[in-house]
Amino acid sequence: MIKVGISRALFYYQYYPMWQTFFEELGAETVVSSPTNKDIFTSGNSRAVAETCLPVKVFFGHVISLVDKCDYMFIPAIRSMGRKAYNCSKFLGLPDMARALIPRCPPILDPEIDLNKGQRNLHKTIYGLGSHFTCHKGKIKKAIEKAWKTNSAYRKEMADLGITPVQAIDRICGENCEPGSALNLSPVLKIALIGHPYVIYDDYINHRLIFRLQAMGAEIFTSEMADQEALDVAMAKLAGNPHWTFEADIIGAGEFYLEAKVDGMITVAVFGCGPDSMMIDVVRHRARELKVPFLYLSLDEHTSEGGLVTRLEAFLDMVKRRKRVCV
Amino acid sequence: MRVGIPHFGNVYISVKAMAQRLGATERDLIIPPPMTRRTLDLGVKYSPTEACLPYKLTLGNLIEACELGADTLAQGRGTGICRLGYYAKNQEQILHDLGYDAHFITIDVSHHKLASILQLIKGMCNNAPWPKIISAFRFGIGKLFALDKIEKVVQKVQAVELERGTANQIYREAIRAIDKAAERKEVKRITSEYIDKLSWIPKEEDAKPIKVSIVGEIYVVIEPFANMDLEVELGKLGVEVERTMTISRWIKYSLFLNPLGIDEWRDVHKAAMPYLKRDVGGDGWESVGEKVLHAREGYDGIIHVAPFTCMPEIVAQNIMPSTKEDIPVLTVLCDEQMAKPGMITRLEAFVDLLKFRRKRRKR
Repeated sequence: MIKVGISRALFYYQYYPMWQTFFEELGAETVVSSPTNKDIFTSGNSRAVAETCLPVKVFFGHVISLVDKCDYMFIPAIRSMGRKAYNCSKFLGLPDMARALIPRCPPILDPEIDLNKGQRNLHKTIYGLGSHFTCHKGKIKKAIEKAWKTNSAYRKEMADLGITPVQAIDRICGENCEPGSALNLSPVLKIALIGHPYVIYDDYINHRLIFRLQAMGAEIFTSEMADQEALDVAMAKLAGNPHWTFEADIIGAGEFYLEAKVDGMITVAVFGCGPDSMMIDVVRHRARELKVPFLYLSLDEHTSEGGLVTRLEAFLDMVKRRKRVCV
Repeated sequence: MRVGIPHFGNVYISVKAMAQRLGATERDLIIPPPMTRRTLDLGVKYSPTEACLPYKLTLGNLIEACELGADTLAQGRGTGICRLGYYAKNQEQILHDLGYDAHFITIDVSHHKLASILQLIKGMCNNAPWPKIISAFRFGIGKLFALDKIEKVVQKVQAVELERGTANQIYREAIRAIDKAAERKEVKRITSEYIDKLSWIPKEEDAKPIKVSIVGEIYVVIEPFANMDLEVELGKLGVEVERTMTISRWIKYSLFLNPLGIDEWRDVHKAAMPYLKRDVGGDGWESVGEKVLHAREGYDGIIHVAPFTCMPEIVAQNIMPSTKEDIPVLTVLCDEQMAKPGMITRLEAFVDLLKFRRKRRKR
C-alpha cells in the first residue's frame, strides 16, 4: 500500500480529516508524524533560515521525521481559500522550501490550491493529485465527495460540541484516543483564545497553553467553536474584505468574541508572523474600544515556560479581579 | 485638498513635476522632509512591533506629512500575498488615533495599475482634461527614467573612479538639476550633460572591479535610507553594482507592457522554476531567479536585501543556498535595529571573500 506522509503541523489542524478520507478512498495509507517533540523541534530549527517563523520550522521538523516512513510527502501549496484572500507566502513556498532544505525528502505531492482560479481549476488540480494513485476518474470523484463530507462533518462537530480540532480529529479519525483530561473545575472565566490553529493546538510550541488555562479555571473559546458564517460577518464588520485567508479566524473570531462579551482575550502569535503583526493590531484596537482585557503573547523558540505561566497567571488574576469589581 | 505622499526613492520628484504641470501650488502637494532618524523613530513608535520596515518608514513619512498639514494621504494597495495590502487600512487607523483626520487614497499596485493611477490624478486635479493629465504624467515619469539612466552610469563609474565619491556627488547634483527642470527637453539635456560629466571622471585604467548584483524586496532595494546607502558603500569599496529593479523599469513594464502580454521577468521566472515553482508574493520569486541567472552570467556575488520578517524574501532566503548555480549570497536584513558600521563590516568581509574567490578561480 502506498504511504502518504502528512505532517502534524500548519494545515493539519484544519484539513486532516478531509485529507485522510481522500487518500484512504484512493487506497493509500496516511502516515502522520507524532505530535511535536524535542527532536522534531530541533531538527526543523536547525535546517531553516533563522528568520523563518517557528511553525514553519517545526513543519520541517515533522517532514524530516517522516522521511523514511512514507513513499510520498503531501505538502500542498495553498494559495487561496477564498475570493481575493490569500495565504502567507510561506505556505506557497512550503513544498519548494522542503525540497531545498530536506534533500532526502521522498517525492512531494504539491498541488497548488487556488480558489481564485475557479472550481474547474480546483477540480483539475485534485484529479491531478488523485492520478498518482489511480487512473480511475470515478474513484477520484467519489473520494472527493467523501472527503468533502468528512470536512463538513468535522467543522460541524467542532462548532456544535465546542471542542478543539485535536479532540475532533480524535473522535473522527479515532487515532491515539487519549481520554480528554476531565478537569472537574467549574470554569469561572470565559477566555477567548485567538490565533492560528497550528499555534494554539500545538502543545509543544505553546507550552500546553489550553491545558494551563483550563487548569487555572478558564473556559476556552477558539475560532473553530464558532459558526463559520458568524465569523465572516464579524470580520466584514471590522475589516471589510479579507486580504488573508485566515483573517476570519483572527479578526473575525476576535470581533465575534469581543461582542459576545468574553471576560478576557488572549491572542497568541509567533514572532515574525507577517499577517499577524497587522491583524492582531486591529483586534487589539477593537478590544481597547470595547474595554475587554487583552493579552498578546508572542511565542518563539526561546519562549520559556516559566515566563509564560507568570504572564498567564497575572492576566487571569487581573481578569478575575476586574470581574469581581464590576459585578 | 492637501495631498501628502510617502517617500520611495526619487518618486517624489516625479510627483512634484506632475503636480506643477497640472497647476497645483506648493500648498496642494506636501512632500514630507527627506527621511531622517526622526522619520524612522516616529514610524517605529506608532507601528505594530513586528511590522516590516517599509511599513514603519512610510508611516513615519505620513506622520511628518500630516504635521505639515496634509489632509489626504496616498499609499499603495494590492491584493497580493504580502502585507502591502494592509498598509493603508492600518495606517489610517493609527493616524486617526494620533488625532490626524487624514483621508487615504490608495493606488492599486496589483491590478489595473495605470488606470488606477490616472484616475487618481484626475480625481485630484478637479477633472482637468485627459490630454493635460497624460502630458503631465509623461513629464513626471520622464524625470524618473532620466534619473535611473544616470544612476546606471553612476553604479559603473563609482567602482573605478580615482577619487572615491565623485560620481555620487555628481549624481546628487543631477537629482537637484532634474528636479528643477521645467521642460521635457531640459530634462533630456541635463541627462546627457551629467552622463558626459560622469564619463570625464578620472578612472583607473583597465580595472576589473568586483561585480555584484542587488536583489530583494523592491522598497528596501530602491530606497537608500532603508538600506543605509548600500550602493554608495559598495562603491566606496570599489564594487560595481548592478540592480535590475528600478522604479522606471517597474513603470515601463507594470504600467505599459505587462498589459500587452510582455513579461519582463519571464527569463528570471524560468530560471527560478527548478527551485521555486510559483509566485510567492512580493519579490521572492524574482530574487531566486535572479540569483540563478546572475550566477550563470558570471557575477561575483549577490547581495540580497530584505526587510526583517518579510515573508516572500524568507522563502527566497531558504531556497537560495540550495541552487545548483553556485554564487556567494549575502543577505542583508533591514530593520530599525540596523547600524551602519555593522553593515559596512559585513560588506567588507563579503567583498574580501569575493576577491579571494576570484583569485582562486584564476589560478
